[in-house]
Amino acid sequence: MTRLKRWPGWVLLFLCIVGLMTYGSTKDSGARTPEERIEEISKRLACPVCNGESVYESQNPASAAIRAEIRTQVQEGTATDDQIVAYIVTNFSAKTQLVPKTSGFEALVWVLPAAALVCAVAGLAVAFRRWRRNIDTVPDDEDRALVEAALVEGQEGSDP
Amino acid sequence: MKRAKVAPIVALVVAAVLAGLVWVLVAGGGGNDDKNGIVDSNLLDKPAPAVRTTTLDGQPFDLARRKGNWVVLNFFNSTCAPCRAEHPELVTFAEQQGLLGLAGAELYTVVQIDDDLQAVRDFFDARGGDWPILTDEEGSIFVAFGVALVPETFIIDPDGVVRLRWAGQIDAVTLAQLVQQFRQAFGT
Amino acid sequence: MLAEGLNGLLGHSALMVGLAATVFGALALAMSIVTRNPNLRRLVQAYGWTSLVAAVAAVVVMERALITRDWSVAYVQKVGSPNTPALFNFTALWSALEGSILLWLLLLAVYTSIVMRRYRARLSDPLVAWAMVTMLAVTAFFFFLALGPTDAFAQGVTPVNLDKCCAGPNPLLQNHVLVLFHPPILYLGYVGFTVPFAFAIGALVTGRVGEGWLVETRRWALVAWGFLTLGIVLGSWWSYEVLGWGGVWAWDPVENASFLPWLTGTAYIHSVMVQERRGMLRVWNLSLLVATFSLTILGTFLTRSGVVNSVHAFNDGTIGPYLLGAFVVIVAVSLGLIAWRGDRLRSPGAIDSPVSREGAFLANNVVFSLFAFVILLGTVFPLIVEAKDDRKIAVGTPFFDTMGTPIGLVLLFLMAIAPVLPWRKAGTELLRDRLFWPAWSGAGALALAVLVGATGFAPLLAFTMAGFAGGAAVRQLFLATRRQGYRGLLGRTNGGMIVHIGVILVAVGLAASNSYTRAGEFTMNVGDTVEFAGHSFTLQSLDDFQSDRSVGIRAEIAIDGGQAYAPAITKFTAFGMDVATPSVKTGLDKDIYLVIETGSKPSAGLAKVKIFIKPMIVWLWVGGLLCGLGTVLALFPGRHRRRPTDPVSAPIDLSDEAVDQADQADEVPA
Repeated sequence: MTRLKRWPGWVLLFLCIVGLMTYGSTKDSGARTPEERIEEISKRLACPVCNGESVYESQNPASAAIRAEIRTQVQEGTATDDQIVAYIVTNFSAKTQLVPKTSGFEALVWVLPAAALVCAVAGLAVAFRRWRRNIDTVPDDEDRALVEAALVEGQEGSDP
Repeated sequence: MKRAKVAPIVALVVAAVLAGLVWVLVAGGGGNDDKNGIVDSNLLDKPAPAVRTTTLDGQPFDLARRKGNWVVLNFFNSTCAPCRAEHPELVTFAEQQGLLGLAGAELYTVVQIDDDLQAVRDFFDARGGDWPILTDEEGSIFVAFGVALVPETFIIDPDGVVRLRWAGQIDAVTLAQLVQQFRQAFGT
Repeated sequence: MLAEGLNGLLGHSALMVGLAATVFGALALAMSIVTRNPNLRRLVQAYGWTSLVAAVAAVVVMERALITRDWSVAYVQKVGSPNTPALFNFTALWSALEGSILLWLLLLAVYTSIVMRRYRARLSDPLVAWAMVTMLAVTAFFFFLALGPTDAFAQGVTPVNLDKCCAGPNPLLQNHVLVLFHPPILYLGYVGFTVPFAFAIGALVTGRVGEGWLVETRRWALVAWGFLTLGIVLGSWWSYEVLGWGGVWAWDPVENASFLPWLTGTAYIHSVMVQERRGMLRVWNLSLLVATFSLTILGTFLTRSGVVNSVHAFNDGTIGPYLLGAFVVIVAVSLGLIAWRGDRLRSPGAIDSPVSREGAFLANNVVFSLFAFVILLGTVFPLIVEAKDDRKIAVGTPFFDTMGTPIGLVLLFLMAIAPVLPWRKAGTELLRDRLFWPAWSGAGALALAVLVGATGFAPLLAFTMAGFAGGAAVRQLFLATRRQGYRGLLGRTNGGMIVHIGVILVAVGLAASNSYTRAGEFTMNVGDTVEFAGHSFTLQSLDDFQSDRSVGIRAEIAIDGGQAYAPAITKFTAFGMDVATPSVKTGLDKDIYLVIETGSKPSAGLAKVKIFIKPMIVWLWVGGLLCGLGTVLALFPGRHRRRPTDPVSAPIDLSDEAVDQADQADEVPA
């Protein structure tokens, strides 16, 4: 058992996962059906009048009309997804576009999270380096003072 | 470097970011921009989108063939209270324009996708109005004109160019005046 | 005032008494701390109980006004109608802004009283006393809101014209029984985080390094977290049942507002363990509590002031400045305190290795905070653009899905690794041994998914990680119950593992239903049968119905020639608003979700039917239930390993033997 848990078991596991993942994720799930296209497009658009719902979700007649229009255009098959979205957004307003653009000021909404991730990872790395250094250092006077203060306070706290 | 005082600095940075957030929240504050009256549209002063559909009586309709006349398109839903309230005004307007003969504007009602056509028929039978009612079963007319809330009214000139978009209820006098103004401005 | 009806008068009086009691209570207690005067302190009890009675009275009076349909009260005119069914008339209390503030106030007063009763003997401790002052001050703020900016008992228009006013609650709030449960439970969660926040303020003001306050607040935070989780899951269920698009979560600003404190709260209940065990991350934990509480206020501001639009929002301009002001005060005071005390609170300890329990908690915290940042950014980004360029944009589901998927996967991975990691440091040997079966369970989940035909990289990875994490949780529970019997299910660690299993089920349900939902839209005549996704659907009938409040269409659709399901769509005439009533055939592997679309014409016998096949939805609700159950189990005291009063600076034996012992102990509740 313990032997199995060393490399043979893990290698087998690795192979299994890689194999299954490759099989599963490359297996052809077929071209997008028109229904899937309609769904995808309508999820990219906000209902023009109903406060925070997408066209896909909304029961409002305006959204029903937009869905019907998307269906018509998808069935005609000439326009791309982007063109259909652009058509609806021009006709209604920029408020109906749910995916922020990746250019200009709006790109910030995509960039900032990435920047935050980088900062967080960098911060962690710095913290761990500091901690590693701290382990090896001997306490200096400042540390002793801190401990002293803490002890005094601990006594105050436990003995009100 | 050892145990530098970082708490005040971090607190300051966080405070700065949050101050920005609060500023945005104060400055923002959208509220609703539902306007009643003349509103902007991408279609203004551009050729009207193609409208090919059938009327409630089953007659084919093509907006392009209405060129040469002023056209008023009214977007309608028989379950919407302002639309129902607006109807007598449209009846008056249609009668007035009828008196002008060929120079009068043609009025058309476009029915919203979720409306029951039978209910629309009953409504027009009961409340009057004998202008053609256009169906929009595929929603394409509403989408082409960017109409989300009913009622809305568009004025299209004899060249098929959109001249006005009016959101919300309108009355016969205002509508007639607007058509008259455009008629003078664009010389027909 | 003279013309005010009895209910209005009673309500206003109760609120005024409550406001006075909380203000005086807070002032008296603060004075007693400063002057060390025990007499003032004794008064606080009376003030506290008075505020509770006042809050209960206000709510009772409002319910009485609603039930007796006392039109002299403006709020009754706003949310009442002569013909709302009794249940929805009762829940109308929280169906608009003013009443929901009353509900908030009631729950806050209840929490305050419980805290006061529980710590009545310890009010002499400045930390507890400052916490109590904070609670009373927050309660006073809500009494003030209920009395002034959102005056629930304001006098209604007289004479009342029942045709013009009084349409009843929003149609979405009178369509399903969950309206009785979701808002109060969610509020119990929101409001509950006031308690740990108050203790955090107490700790900051007194600058006390000891961990005593933490032990007190951990359980409160857990209770609040449990309610919040349950409230969010119930909310998703509700939206699934009434919104008619077959989804459970739309990344709508109001939903985000409830999710933000959940994220920081979750981060807190994890990282607090590092502080208890290692005495580290003190400032960070305080910050998380402050963040959680201020996010509940910010969320309330965002959704109640009309700044952002949402289906769930009650838009009302008057309350905005006060809530924003409260947010600013809370953040400014907390940040000031942290800046002042932060360095004193910092611990001299160190985390030895990233590959350790505390390392995993740290990673967890980073990821949760990042998640919260992304969601806050996405929610307020339209406002930023508007403030800068004065144009309107929207940030919706596609953005949040794109961002949320990788974050969710990382969290699942951490959930798999963390429970087997020992504190301090782990070697590869140990990881290889402990992760073996959990990893195989991940492979098993993957194999099963592939076997039933699942495709796509992201969902398959999600199933693998879910299996992996589930394996780790089950391993922990297995070891604990083998050693301790049923007690192996109690305590923080083991209850936590049950919560983990719940969260994993939710994740699997979300991954499956988001990736493999199939939807079809059919235009059918009565008598037609369509085939879709291996099932047949027969439209048996299509009728319209009318009441004095609504018109609607109901269809009966037989699935596979069996039982008929009856989706409907109702238009509430007073609102001109369509509310769908989907009909769902629930199964363990998938739900069949039927909706009648707008555009159906009963007069022509023509129905537009939308059919969703949604895999594994039911596991979302099961998972939510498990989260609640696990939270309850986690509240039971487990076996203590280190008394919280022990100094955290006690010497640590780093020999292999000691580490191993500590690891053994990790598998029983700490």
